[in-house]
Amino acid sequence: MDEYQTEEETAFIVEDVSKIIKESVEAAIGGSTYQHSRVNQWTTSVVEQCLSQLSKLGKPFKYIVTCIIMQKNGAGLQTASACFWDNSTDGSCAVRWENKSMYCIVSVFGLAI
Amino acid sequence: MDEYHNGNEGSFNSEEADNIVKECIENVVGGEDYSQSQVNKWTASIVERCLTQLVKQGKPYKFIVTCAVMQKTGAGLHTANSCYWDTSMDGSSTVRWENRTMYCVVSVFAVAIA
Repeated sequence: MDEYQTEEETAFIVEDVSKIIKESVEAAIGGSTYQHSRVNQWTTSVVEQCLSQLSKLGKPFKYIVTCIIMQKNGAGLQTASACFWDNSTDGSCAVRWENKSMYCIVSVFGLAI
Repeated sequence: MDEYHNGNEGSFNSEEADNIVKECIENVVGGEDYSQSQVNKWTASIVERCLTQLVKQGKPYKFIVTCAVMQKTGAGLHTANSCYWDTSMDGSSTVRWENRTMYCVVSVFAVAIA
């Protein structure tokens, strides 16, 4: 029985995930100005797009995608995350993006099945 | 062979997680005012405490805890999560807390170990 699976097919590759996140954010809000009425739609769009691109990778992972969009008005924002998992197989990737009117922080956590 | 399986043991108890998280937040920032110099310490402390308490439950789960603390200045903040997992076994819980000077949003994600 051929059970050969390259490590590349089963590892969490931060670079690939980072690219997916950047593309999803650009597509959803690149060039937009912060608008209270649209933010809800944007955050949903970013996470859904990331998730669908990630699942297309076809790797044996469960994914959690979180997105924070904050208006630029001088407020301080601090985020932290802690994970209890298997260090050898699981991984995470966070991308910070900004334009003139808002910040967008997206984190992806991948847990091996 | 006794195969009795309590439905609760097989899935994530979000109420319990909520209580654990609320307690941790209160212990760390309850009664404090937003402070730029301390906020780093607070978020780290909150996620570490939550994680420790959750792991103490001894359930067969991997956990991810995220925490965002924001100063109250009138700015808009939106967060969204999306998860690709086993909906029967895995679960999440989000707690929103605030005081006079800041908001704190903590999310816990629990993924079952096969």
